[in-house]
Amino acid sequence: MKLLEHEAKQLFAQEGIRVPNGILVGKHEEILLHMDAIADNVVVKAQVDVGGRGKAGGVLMATRDTVIETARQLFNTKIKGIEVQRILIEERLAIQHEYFVSITIDRIKKQPVILFAETGGVDIEETAHTKKDAVRSVSFCPLLSDVPGFLLRELCGDAPADIQKTVNRLYHVFCHKDALLAEINPLVTTPNGVYAADAKLIVDDNSLARQGIAVNRDLTEREREAEKHGFSFVELDGTIGVIGNGAGLTMSTLDLIEYYGGKAADFLDVGGGADSERVMHAVRLVAGVPTLRVIVVNLLGGITRCDEVAKGIIASGVPVPVIVRIAGTNAEEGQRLLAEKGYEMLDTMDHVVKKAVEVAG
Amino acid sequence: MIYGDKKTGIIVTGATGRQGEYHIGLMNEYARQVGGRGVVAGVTPKKGGQKVHGVPVYNTVKEALREQDATAAVVFVPGGAAADSIMEAADAGLELVVAITEHVPVHDTMKAIAYAEMKGCAVIGPNCPGLLSPGEVKMGIMPSGLFSRGHVGVISRSGTLTYEVVDELTRAGIGQSTVVGIGGDPVIGQTFSDVLERFAEDPVTKAVVLIGEVGGNLEAEGAKNTDVPLVAYIAGVSAPPDKRMGHAGAIVEGGESDARSKIAKLKKMGIHVASRPSEIPDLIRELFRCHC
Repeated sequence: MKLLEHEAKQLFAQEGIRVPNGILVGKHEEILLHMDAIADNVVVKAQVDVGGRGKAGGVLMATRDTVIETARQLFNTKIKGIEVQRILIEERLAIQHEYFVSITIDRIKKQPVILFAETGGVDIEETAHTKKDAVRSVSFCPLLSDVPGFLLRELCGDAPADIQKTVNRLYHVFCHKDALLAEINPLVTTPNGVYAADAKLIVDDNSLARQGIAVNRDLTEREREAEKHGFSFVELDGTIGVIGNGAGLTMSTLDLIEYYGGKAADFLDVGGGADSERVMHAVRLVAGVPTLRVIVVNLLGGITRCDEVAKGIIASGVPVPVIVRIAGTNAEEGQRLLAEKGYEMLDTMDHVVKKAVEVAG
Repeated sequence: MIYGDKKTGIIVTGATGRQGEYHIGLMNEYARQVGGRGVVAGVTPKKGGQKVHGVPVYNTVKEALREQDATAAVVFVPGGAAADSIMEAADAGLELVVAITEHVPVHDTMKAIAYAEMKGCAVIGPNCPGLLSPGEVKMGIMPSGLFSRGHVGVISRSGTLTYEVVDELTRAGIGQSTVVGIGGDPVIGQTFSDVLERFAEDPVTKAVVLIGEVGGNLEAEGAKNTDVPLVAYIAGVSAPPDKRMGHAGAIVEGGESDARSKIAKLKKMGIHVASRPSEIPDLIRELFRCHC
């Protein structure tokens, strides 16, 4: 799950990374209560999860005199279509130099990897693309609790020693907060020391519980509902509802829909060993997607029993047509049950998807 | 055969849980059919002395190894404790750990795999269905009824999609040597390249089906260093960016982790890429024709 800047900064500060003084407000009027804490020159930052926020108008400069009006304007703007619900108002730093540091996981090496650039800022992605050697990287054994000093020296080059210390502290954040990504861009030097001027943190969804995060904000309401039932669910905008078991088979079913010229309305993996009740909830959930015209069920029973699947489909009693392909464990019994109720069934995933595309029109 | 055969003794950790118990039964049913040793011990802390389907349960892997001869472990221990179980098995000297468990925190996985590698232990998974060599050994949860013995290896990041492909192969009369589910997580132990290295040295395997999906770039990485004849299939051509498609690792995050980029890369290497699972048997036949 992606954290917002102010949340990430709080966690960075806990590990000893210096962040600018700031206040968080949900309405521009609230600023009046905090005037003592407002510096003469401030940065007014929309707390929205949007890439390229600065360029999209989500970060504005203001003074003590103009901050309320600036915040009012920002609350009334949408940043790349997202409403601004919270604003962070920070002291404006006297920036001497901007660096870039980002820690993530190298899937091939199976190790943490740290990226560092001498010139950070809003154009870092372009810089990384055009000047390949502008971004240095190091990776190392994940069993170490600190970034080895020689690697910090290699990574940070001539940057001040405090930059190296901050990079190591960011690695602590990365480890302690189960992060998939911990990033500071820009990481800045000022006459008062090194600061994280911005902060990005993505927490591993498999670690939300132990990080004390109760609700995964990255999911839509329907996706969260699905999670409660043990499904993996992604809402899409097509007309063909998809229910499968296993991520790969379900994804492959979606691809086949595209191959035959249709458009999927969702991705729903019921998971291993689903019983009739879980399947019933799955069919009802997908039937609730507004753009839907037909549902295709493609299940290959291993631990999942096809007779249970059939009972679930029948129990759902949804008005949209449900076209089924079930194979594997207890498939014959499942097919018999569905045939009794007049459900359309086909023998392979190619056939069932082709048919669904026809029905969806 | 790679990773194991009839003679392989298996320890199941998380033996007394619902999943562990159920699959000890199925694994040993398969072992009886093929005349293999199967699961010789179970491990669950504080449950030592019990039996599951006639298999003795011990408190620790080390205790189990004092009385039983085993070289591999299959882990069913739930998410938060799975990494610990992988390290315990590696520390006790086992050569192979197959981690079935889903939802393991990725930092735990990274550490456990690094630790196991230090101990010379190969890890398959986590979040995987395990492996099956038809007629020899089953370590994991694959439904053995779909498989047939032969010369095609399969490596896959997915479970049911693997069964779909195995089913297609079997119905087309193409048997399998070993089928390995390497797992759907962002960090996994044995990757395509590790398994391909084993297949390259396996006299039984003549060709390999590589089943990949969106996220990361392990597929191309694996394919570039092998001489084994390959057919590939990549799921997720229609996957939207920045959405996790069921597997923790199946997410398009910029760069070249989307399905089309992967397919283009593989095709550039001269590898046949199927656009549907049902095309795979024909591509394998073509491959055999070329190499005969």
